Amino acid sequence: MLRAVRRTGLVFFPAFDWAISPTHPEREERLLYTQDQVMEEGLLDVEGLVEYRVRPARFEDIQRVHFCIPNEQTVTTESHLISAGGCLVAADAVLKGEVESAFALVRPPGHHAKTVVHGNRGFCNINIEAVMIEYLRDTYGINRVAIVDTDCHHGDGTQDIYWHDPDTLFISLHQDGRTLYPGSGFPNESGGPNAQGLTVNIPLPPHTGESGFLYTLNSLVMPLLKKFEPELVINSAGQDNHFTDPITNMNFSARGYAQLTARLKPDIAVLEGGYAVESALPYVNVGVIMAMAGMDTTHVKEPNYDRDYKPQPSNITEYIEKLVTELKGLFLEGKLEPTHYEAGEIVERSRDIYYDTDGIHERQQERVRCCRDCAGALAIESTSSLGRHILGVHIPRRSCSACRKTALSWCEAGSRGPFDHIYLQDRPQGIYERMK
Amino acid sequence: MILGLDVGGTQTDAVLIDENGVLIETKTPTGEDLLETLRVALEKTISDVDPRQIDRMAFSTTLATNAIVQNNLEKAGMIVSAGPGMDPSWFAVGPSYHTVEGCIDHQGFDATPLSERSVRDAARRIWNSGIKFLGVVTKFSVRNPIHETQISDWIGDAFSYVALGHRVSGILNFPRRIATTYLNAALYDVHLKFSNALTHILNERNLEAPRFLLKPDGGTMALENCSDLPARTAQSGPAASVMGALALDGCKGTTLVLDIGGTTTDMSVVLNGVPLRAPYGIRLGSFRTLIRSLLTRSIGLGGDSEVRVGNDGSIKIGPERKGKPVALGGAVPTPTDAMVALGLLDTGSRDAAKAIMENLGIRLGLDGRATAKYILEHVAKVISDAARSFIDYINSRPVYTIHEVLREQKIEPGAVVIIGGPANQIGRFVGKAMGLPYRVPPHFGVANAVGAAVARVTSEITLHADTERGTVIIPEANFQKSIDGRFSTDDALTLGRGVLRQKALQSGADPETLEMFITHRKTFNMIRGFSRTGQNIRLDMCIAPGLIPGWRRSP
Repeated sequence: MLRAVRRTGLVFFPAFDWAISPTHPEREERLLYTQDQVMEEGLLDVEGLVEYRVRPARFEDIQRVHFCIPNEQTVTTESHLISAGGCLVAADAVLKGEVESAFALVRPPGHHAKTVVHGNRGFCNINIEAVMIEYLRDTYGINRVAIVDTDCHHGDGTQDIYWHDPDTLFISLHQDGRTLYPGSGFPNESGGPNAQGLTVNIPLPPHTGESGFLYTLNSLVMPLLKKFEPELVINSAGQDNHFTDPITNMNFSARGYAQLTARLKPDIAVLEGGYAVESALPYVNVGVIMAMAGMDTTHVKEPNYDRDYKPQPSNITEYIEKLVTELKGLFLEGKLEPTHYEAGEIVERSRDIYYDTDGIHERQQERVRCCRDCAGALAIESTSSLGRHILGVHIPRRSCSACRKTALSWCEAGSRGPFDHIYLQDRPQGIYERMK
Repeated sequence: MILGLDVGGTQTDAVLIDENGVLIETKTPTGEDLLETLRVALEKTISDVDPRQIDRMAFSTTLATNAIVQNNLEKAGMIVSAGPGMDPSWFAVGPSYHTVEGCIDHQGFDATPLSERSVRDAARRIWNSGIKFLGVVTKFSVRNPIHETQISDWIGDAFSYVALGHRVSGILNFPRRIATTYLNAALYDVHLKFSNALTHILNERNLEAPRFLLKPDGGTMALENCSDLPARTAQSGPAASVMGALALDGCKGTTLVLDIGGTTTDMSVVLNGVPLRAPYGIRLGSFRTLIRSLLTRSIGLGGDSEVRVGNDGSIKIGPERKGKPVALGGAVPTPTDAMVALGLLDTGSRDAAKAIMENLGIRLGLDGRATAKYILEHVAKVISDAARSFIDYINSRPVYTIHEVLREQKIEPGAVVIIGGPANQIGRFVGKAMGLPYRVPPHFGVANAVGAAVARVTSEITLHADTERGTVIIPEANFQKSIDGRFSTDDALTLGRGVLRQKALQSGADPETLEMFITHRKTFNMIRGFSRTGQNIRLDMCIAPGLIPGWRRSP
């Protein structure tokens, strides 16, 4: 009988009754052929591959991460709650020791959802990885977590949520933002004042192939993980780097994804994008599942691989080698000059955020208290084209008393301000409330 | 009158019934020779009956199961084409297993053509090792069987029988398709010989009524139609019991059915008169198959299980069985001895049973009577815990739509129906342990034979239509035709009903009372670019296990 080398959990939730719109890439059909392929391969009969039933996440699970404007009911559907809940089921299975690793093959995805949520950006409403990680931290006392985002699009939502967190390493490999949505994810985006160097963006050129991805993984990502020493490695496992993907320009393959997964050995992988529903997803997912289970993936490939897959051109190889050398210098060899901030200093940034799916414009003003003892008090003022003006105040997990005091004073001041709503995220006490 | 017969591991039960209930019930020890056992059981049951009065006969046999377990299979070769995915050598089975190049993709497109030369090479090697039976399986053949039929066309004539993978089931599962197809090829001759011999025995006795064999899904099929896919009749015993409980009790609402035997207890769940089915198929020895079966769970605990008391005063019952109970001259204490000692069961030596209970009681610090009671309570607790975990398992099965997640219909039994030898003695203990009302139906000791007698024909189809590719296929019915973009879900339903009806009638179903269920129905729009290019329609229908018309629960 076939056995998994590593006991692996699988949470499969294809949401066969949900779509953003009838012809949208994020539609009912998306995981249909993946299910066909997984079933036909007989993967669920492999001893040690355990399929779990999903459960919906609760609003509280979302409130740990997001300020939902005006509230959770309005910006989520059942499908978002179940997709996030699928990740929680995967996380429970791993942390309870029932399996060594788990793959949440769920939809809709989440990595473009930022801290403040007015609507849908890049097919995402809530950040399912972040919801899972904060649940893990509260439920199992996990602290240091690394996220490796291998979706073809920059994981700008996840970056935003963990921008200030010194306990989370966020690494994103993606197609260069100058050539693809969301247009961000450059090496100079490297983390806020309290988490400098803990956001690592690797913008790969269009047409990056198997060799480029695996080279980057081996030369840069694995050493970064080794240096950070996380308790858990999470893979935001988008599958849209595939050579047949309709909305990207990369040159990756099922075989490549399987090798990447086998090397990365994530504790939990979460499906993100990937819209070549017939030509990529069935094979990539089989490869990822088998790789997570430690099985031999030599025979996994697309039926048209030998005919249609083109190896990476040499100029791309040279470009990637140069990029990786530069990033190694910055993030592994200490060439990244940290900006000096005084403890207690308040640092501000302002941003415009566009929600492509829902057509919302948002303007944000953010301030964070520089702190050597915790992630720092954080406040976000946000106005959207829907007309709402809000203040969100975040007291970080393991916050110091000074940051707590600062955050509460911001709330207090805000209550006299011009806001439609004021939200407080009190992570240490587990209190999440809309005060107005 | 109907004759029902169930061959068990140690005992063969037979009944003769009519609309008023059970007329005759007999038990015959199961011998080495299956046909001889059948002959004796028949003799015992119908020697005084005019054969012309018998208008239906149904048999649940151990033929296929025994052939597999005892490795009494014919040599069968396999030609398999996998395409990319898992390494097909991992599923190698039988004495001559060959993989050839070729690939059908998940949509049914011929992605890599077969190599005729390597097929002929493989066939030659199988033929040269003296093998007459062949199984042919390709990945996704249920979406497009072209490669399987090509192989069969090229080289099939050289073999006595060729089993084709797509005919086994429409379910997607390539490794199970390989295993099941192999079993069908390897059982073909064994089954044919049995079927001919049984026909001969029945003809000898002038028994001319329609003959049926029971399948593990609780349904029957006509004996003369079993030969193509003989593995379908394996391991029907547990299904016979469930159908018997259904026939004798009615099983309204949600019912847990327990069949407590000598060495094992089998459990299953009946939902409003329809037993729950297993998602894929039955496991036969080391083979995971696509043979439909009821959802049952078996634990190694029965009336004759060994009872042990540890030095710490803990008690352990089963899964071993070490001969007869002490009351019947055995050496090892059993739950049966506890029943005899308490006077619940009148068999063998009560004194011997009492003595062994006293003896066990020393280490438990209990007197003989309390020990016996303690043992039966413990049996009930083990069964109850196992039943609970079985129900939790059923309720934890994954679902794939928001609708199903939110609806969350949990299975929760409202009653327990208990059959099998010690049903009467152990029933109240189990009912108490589970906190549920329990019922022991009449004729509970031969429920399995009754079940075989009154189980109706079951059948199923798996329809897959892809209007982009322009094909609708129902693999297990050997049906495939071209369609255009206008083919709708309604067309699929009409087609499905017609094909299922035809398939059921061929298996011997009663045309007047065909009851069809839709078990799965989903239509997907196929979008390429940003426009609709077709529809993908999936429709599963079945005639679920149930009772033949005219059967009334016996009073």
